[in-house]
Amino acid sequence: MPDRKTVLMLAPAVIVLGGLCLGGLLVAGLRSLDVQIMTGTGTLSLDAYWSVLGQPEFLQSLGFSLYVALTATFLSTLVAVWAALLLRQRFGGRGLLAFIFQLTLTLPHLIGAIGILYLLSQSGLVARLAYGVGMIDRPSEFPALVYDRFGIGIIVQYVWKEVPFITVILLAQMQTLGEDFESVARSLGASRWQSFRHVLLPMIMPGVLAASVLVFAFTFGVYEVPLILGPNTPATLPVLAYRKFTDVDLAARAEAMALAVIIAVISAVLVALYLWAARRDRWT
Amino acid sequence: MTRAGRRFRRVAVGALALWSLLPLIPLGIWSVAHGWRFPDILPANLTGSSWVFALSDASGVLGSFAVTAAIAGATTVAALIIGLPAARALGMHEFRGKLLVQTLILIPVIVPGIAFALGLHGVFLTLGLTNSVLGVVLVHLVPALPYMILILAGVFAAHDTDFEDQARSLGASRAQTFWHVTLPAIMPGVVVACLFTFLISWSQFLLTLMIGGGRVVTMPMLLFGFATSGRNDLTGAIALIYILPGLVILLATSRFLSGRPAALAAPGHA
Amino acid sequence: MNPCIVAIAIAATFPAYLANAQTAEDVALKTMTWDQIVEKAQGGTVNMFMWGGADNINAYVSQTIGDLLATQHGITLNRVALTDTVEAVNIVLGEKEAGIDENGAVDLIWINGENFRTMKEADLAFCGYTDVLPNDGLINWDNPAIANDFGVPVEGCEVPWSRAQFAFAHDLARTPAPPMSIPDLIAWIKANPGQFTYPAPPDFNGSVFVRHVFYHVAGGTEGLLRPFDKARFDEVSTRTWALLNELEPFLWREGQTYPTTVVQMNDLFANSEVALTFNYEPAQFGIAVQNGIYPETTRSYGLADGTISNTNYTVIPFNSPNKAAAMVVQNLLLSAEAQYEKTRPEVWGAQPAIEIDRLSPDMQAQFAALPAHPSVVSAAVLGRNALPELQSDWISAIEQGWIANVGQ
Repeated sequence: MPDRKTVLMLAPAVIVLGGLCLGGLLVAGLRSLDVQIMTGTGTLSLDAYWSVLGQPEFLQSLGFSLYVALTATFLSTLVAVWAALLLRQRFGGRGLLAFIFQLTLTLPHLIGAIGILYLLSQSGLVARLAYGVGMIDRPSEFPALVYDRFGIGIIVQYVWKEVPFITVILLAQMQTLGEDFESVARSLGASRWQSFRHVLLPMIMPGVLAASVLVFAFTFGVYEVPLILGPNTPATLPVLAYRKFTDVDLAARAEAMALAVIIAVISAVLVALYLWAARRDRWT
Repeated sequence: MTRAGRRFRRVAVGALALWSLLPLIPLGIWSVAHGWRFPDILPANLTGSSWVFALSDASGVLGSFAVTAAIAGATTVAALIIGLPAARALGMHEFRGKLLVQTLILIPVIVPGIAFALGLHGVFLTLGLTNSVLGVVLVHLVPALPYMILILAGVFAAHDTDFEDQARSLGASRAQTFWHVTLPAIMPGVVVACLFTFLISWSQFLLTLMIGGGRVVTMPMLLFGFATSGRNDLTGAIALIYILPGLVILLATSRFLSGRPAALAAPGHA
Repeated sequence: MNPCIVAIAIAATFPAYLANAQTAEDVALKTMTWDQIVEKAQGGTVNMFMWGGADNINAYVSQTIGDLLATQHGITLNRVALTDTVEAVNIVLGEKEAGIDENGAVDLIWINGENFRTMKEADLAFCGYTDVLPNDGLINWDNPAIANDFGVPVEGCEVPWSRAQFAFAHDLARTPAPPMSIPDLIAWIKANPGQFTYPAPPDFNGSVFVRHVFYHVAGGTEGLLRPFDKARFDEVSTRTWALLNELEPFLWREGQTYPTTVVQMNDLFANSEVALTFNYEPAQFGIAVQNGIYPETTRSYGLADGTISNTNYTVIPFNSPNKAAAMVVQNLLLSAEAQYEKTRPEVWGAQPAIEIDRLSPDMQAQFAALPAHPSVVSAAVLGRNALPELQSDWISAIEQGWIANVGQ
């Protein structure tokens, strides 16, 4: 056991986070099993889970959510590693880009979603520019980038928001590394690519992994972005869960709770992955 | 680096910068547009009426701005009071069960808000905390507190306790030592942590929607309302007002941030 | 069962034991004189939950009505915006489930149809008080379209606010000759691929569009305007889904997706992505022109085979803590002045739910002199071909059937 003083220092934070976050998850779990803590009635039943799992819209939503989050995470990470390498060099304009990235970080997701909607819809600013240069004659000729089944608008919004996030984390990490390792590698005759692939990349890999796991977990769970940019069907899991929660059919509430648990379990797997990745010091 | 390489770098940096600012452009144009329809690249009629409306009592923007700021301020103060001791323990002490505490603090960062908010809603309802500012502040603590602790734990990990020990040995009380020695030393980190905790609360959408029940109208609630009523012009103006505090905070903290860019990553996951 | 859960459960259900006290207060409210109610309402706050998708309607409620209430009665009106009225019903339902019987969050809901049925069937509505309202005399309760909300008898559980009738809109400059009936529309959609869509039910407007197709397939409303008939529903709906699926490839984006809300569809119309739009509230077309969203050449029209009309209402939930103040709000909403203001095309343009000929000659003249917006089809013209609404269990079945058979 930690000493008394440490316990006292940690207790408020542990109580608040444990009570609100784990407590909320626990209640959702109980209600998904039809244990009604409000009335003390109910049975232990998996009906809500069978019902959810039996609906084709659930599998569609699960697939759509995983696909959107994975694609967005992969693309964000790729662009961010490149942007971090770029920003690591010294040149004019570097400070400006760093500032703009920091600005993007302060912008709420809701702003990005609305902005992307006005930008990329079939009658949005980009479509109008396309019309202006004669590439299209009417809105329907512009590719469907929002409300679309491939979630392109959602993915674009995530990449827009998360590239600066990962870049800033990687830059901080690279700052602590210094440039010595690479120059040594270069002086020993390694090419630029070789020195990146075999020297720098392994060193920044824990940061890349940690950041991308955070990005995946976040993009998997966000609600307002798919609500604004996504198609009517399939909805992402959080949107589906909220729809079920606001359904007047009370049976749908237990299904919403079951969805909450499913979302949490998928995320919990990611916590484990995150801890595992963060604790691996060496990458070869 | 070759000339071609430099040119490529210039183009790449320009593209990244433009891309990052791109979503703000239509918002800015809409805020001064009237009747801006396809295929007009720029609006034929410019007007300030959206701004006049947004800043009038009728829009509810100013009241909502105040409510949002009060909620974010209260969340920040509560997170600081709760998070500071925890961060010190995590940043400066080794103890059994540390990994468990760290995991608990990371869970809200990883688990989506909707997963715990659905369950919490029923409990808050019974306790009379739904539809109240207090309830919203409490639920905002879940995403905000972990970042407060993580940033401050980093600050404490780099904190040297020699001066504290000296002050104590010279007869200063615990409180005196904290106020006169510890706090000044960690102040830059505390400021950064507070400002970004503020921004996390400022950005919350779903948690406010669920616990506030539509009755607590923060800026994102209000903005979403206009965005979904088809008034792109009013949405543009209100959106630009909504992002103002983030911009101010960014400018105000740039001097604290030089050596601490990772701290800024926090609101990215608000 | 875990003792801890039992303890939480007991604590949670405790407020339920207080329910009887509340009923006594409700009874008292129904026996009070109007003056006593107005006095009791003084200083109260009314949380009015309503669909928030039209900022002119929001402004009418928050500003016009809110200011009147504040100056005349010292009542604060707090408008709470919803994306869908079902959210408010859900809040009350959740409160009832949690045993919150007297301190609910909702005091007044703008409502009709399925949501009213849910409230009535689950005993979520405060009922039996409407004759206390002085302006109750302006309501023609003998009109079945007012005494029944989508076929559900109102029975003193809600107060009418506006009447509305569905209409289509087109841009004269782009589509000079729009289809004027459902059969014409079907042919037109096939001849003009990509130019039409409708919001996915359960969106309120998308749902009523599908009901027009349902009526068309059934060959009229015969046999439909009665309690739910599974056999008849199955027969008509099967053909309705077949027709809608047949149309799907000719819709906007080949019907691979549908707008989620009517606001999204309005945006498509504004930007020429589709050629037609529609609304249960034709006055919205005029407001959209006024706000620069639609072109000046926008015109609206009803269908030769008729369009569906309804009455919408306000309801007080059983657990509202401010019932007296909510009743004062309902009474004010019914007043000649408030209804007149609401009917003005530049304010809202909603058709009054009160009988104009029961008003003073002066007020009658004011109503008669209201200007018409060129983009808004007149209520009188629309009213010549009005169709009644289905009973709400039909509507739920149609919405669920659409999602399962067309939307997926």
